[in-house]
Amino acid sequence: MEPTEGTEPKFLATARDEQRRMVDEYYTNLATAGGPKKPVAYMFVGGNLTEIVRSFGYEVVFPEIVGLNCAIKHVSLPNILHAESQGYGLDVCGYVKNDLGLQELGGQTPFGRVPPPDLLVCSFSGCYIYVKWWEALAEKFGCPLVVLDVPYMRAKEPQAEDLQYLVAQLNEFIALLEKRTGRSFDRAELRRVLENSRRAEQGWVDYLDSGRLRPSPIEAYFEAVFYMFPINVLRGTEEAADFYATVNAEVAERVRTGRCPVPEEKFRLVVEGVPPYTNYRTFWDFFRRWGAVSVAATYPKVGGLFDRGFLHDPARPLESIAEYSLGAYVNQSWPLRRKLIEEYVRDFGADAVLIHGIKSCRSFTAGQGDLRDWLIHDLGIPTLYIESDHEDPRYFAPAQIKNRMDAFFESLDQRRGSTPLPMVRS
Amino acid sequence: MTLVAGVDIGSTTAKCVLIENGKILGKSLAPVGVELVKDAERSLEQALAETGRGRGEVAVVTGTGYGRFKVTFGQYTVTEIGCHAKGAHFLFPATRVVLDIGGQDTKAIKINEKGEVVDFAMNDKCAAGTGRFLDVCAGALGLDVSEIGSLSLGARHPVKVTNTCTVFAESEVSSYVSRGKEAKDILAGLNASVVSRSLSLMQRVGIEPEVTFTGGVSRNEGVVRTLGYRLKLPVNVSPLSQYVGAIGAALHGLERKEATAT
Repeated sequence: MEPTEGTEPKFLATARDEQRRMVDEYYTNLATAGGPKKPVAYMFVGGNLTEIVRSFGYEVVFPEIVGLNCAIKHVSLPNILHAESQGYGLDVCGYVKNDLGLQELGGQTPFGRVPPPDLLVCSFSGCYIYVKWWEALAEKFGCPLVVLDVPYMRAKEPQAEDLQYLVAQLNEFIALLEKRTGRSFDRAELRRVLENSRRAEQGWVDYLDSGRLRPSPIEAYFEAVFYMFPINVLRGTEEAADFYATVNAEVAERVRTGRCPVPEEKFRLVVEGVPPYTNYRTFWDFFRRWGAVSVAATYPKVGGLFDRGFLHDPARPLESIAEYSLGAYVNQSWPLRRKLIEEYVRDFGADAVLIHGIKSCRSFTAGQGDLRDWLIHDLGIPTLYIESDHEDPRYFAPAQIKNRMDAFFESLDQRRGSTPLPMVRS
Repeated sequence: MTLVAGVDIGSTTAKCVLIENGKILGKSLAPVGVELVKDAERSLEQALAETGRGRGEVAVVTGTGYGRFKVTFGQYTVTEIGCHAKGAHFLFPATRVVLDIGGQDTKAIKINEKGEVVDFAMNDKCAAGTGRFLDVCAGALGLDVSEIGSLSLGARHPVKVTNTCTVFAESEVSSYVSRGKEAKDILAGLNASVVSRSLSLMQRVGIEPEVTFTGGVSRNEGVVRTLGYRLKLPVNVSPLSQYVGAIGAALHGLERKEATAT
């Protein structure tokens, strides 16, 4: 088999338009604030507490998402270079440098101006660099920084003592929010918001689950990333909940008509790791040329492992939020992450695993080399590890990456013994 | 009888091999310039000139190497990883691990009993531990890269080259020269550095006999000996080791032609 010309990526037309509108509206609202300015809380995606801060009237900014938007629009490098000129080293996380550079340059992006924070919330303990990032912002903007200590997940289910510990911290956090905003905590409002979260989460899970079908009606990595925005940024709103109904109606149409993201599905992959946003389409094209589709991926779960049985429970608001934070993908120990990937391979009928490592992120990436070895040597699952960066285009070497991917798909094809196709020029 | 050609356009040289009936009939090797399509054409013509056969008699041409897409007159392309696996299996059928060190790439390839790729690992996005690394460091000593192997065999007190970055290693070589170290000891240190880096790649895919060493650096006897010593295993090196990619390409082309015909 030879690689063919990459086909143009096909999105769910209505859902993609709707997602674009939601992104535009979100950044426009951030920039203009539409009336009396809402206070702004900065938060990380993994295990975020968006429902709680929204219930106190905060708008939420996720600098990681701003960062990936900068990278995908090819404007991350000037921010990174500016941060490096301020003394941040080559090996510091690309998200961190993009944000700190952007903030120093005034916060203006092609998709809107990112407002400065009034409150910094770090509810993710998995990355020490992230704490330092928030400390740098706290110093620059003189705003309070709240750090919640979220214990790492050592077992499949959250431990009772961890839950108790985190709920106690959430109560302290709520008391702080009451003091800062002068508003009382409205448990009924939080429950209402969580109803919306739960509905969005169920819709998102239904979408992700359709990757089990053959051929897969979804692209669970490259395409799914676009549909992550509502579940991560707008979770808790009615709009986000309704969005997934639109998505799933279009997926059902794909199933009915057989018009799948990869016209001739040859290889089904599980993908692990943050995408190289700076060269997103080029990287995706390396898959499509070989008829490869990702049927499951870990990255779209960084905002929550909803597909593994957890959904927010409005009847137990704080306990449920604590369970959510503990269970975030990035908060899982490596044995749990490995097990999850093994289950995805089995449950989604994947042929292989592709791991994309991030040069400037040791937090997410450390352990991926061992994961590769375990998948290959212990489970016999063909696995390719490639590395570039999520934010820094200087680390993306297209010729080398393509060569490795071509060789990997060639070897899969050869071992499968499929009939070669005529050559089409690269 | 089907005459097939494999054309390997690497980062430094173009290689072509002609195979018929399981026998290598002709071959060529020349440096590449900036016009890769012409280099590819020339390599095929030179290999054909060795055989006295005409271009029209070649049933299939397969391109490999980084410049494989510049073999525009060919029918197939295969990555050099698949080709080195196939070529090494052809020369040494019991091969299970291939180490290929070319101009800018080092690859460790695990293969099965059919010569199919099971796993592979490659150097990161720099030329550390590759042919270019040795080339640059030989230059710092005023030597040609082809002299490294034989000179290094006379080393008595090999130095330790700690830098894996080619540019920094060149500075390190200059530093050893200024401290009065002998060239043969510095060269042996460089060879050992290349082997250390290669071993870590080989360990990624799992080392098991037989090990076959291919690519331009396999012409360096110092690296071959150090590798065998560190592995505690014999290392297969063919006189055709620089042509292994082209051999594999020719064989892949033949397989594909036969598969398409059936």
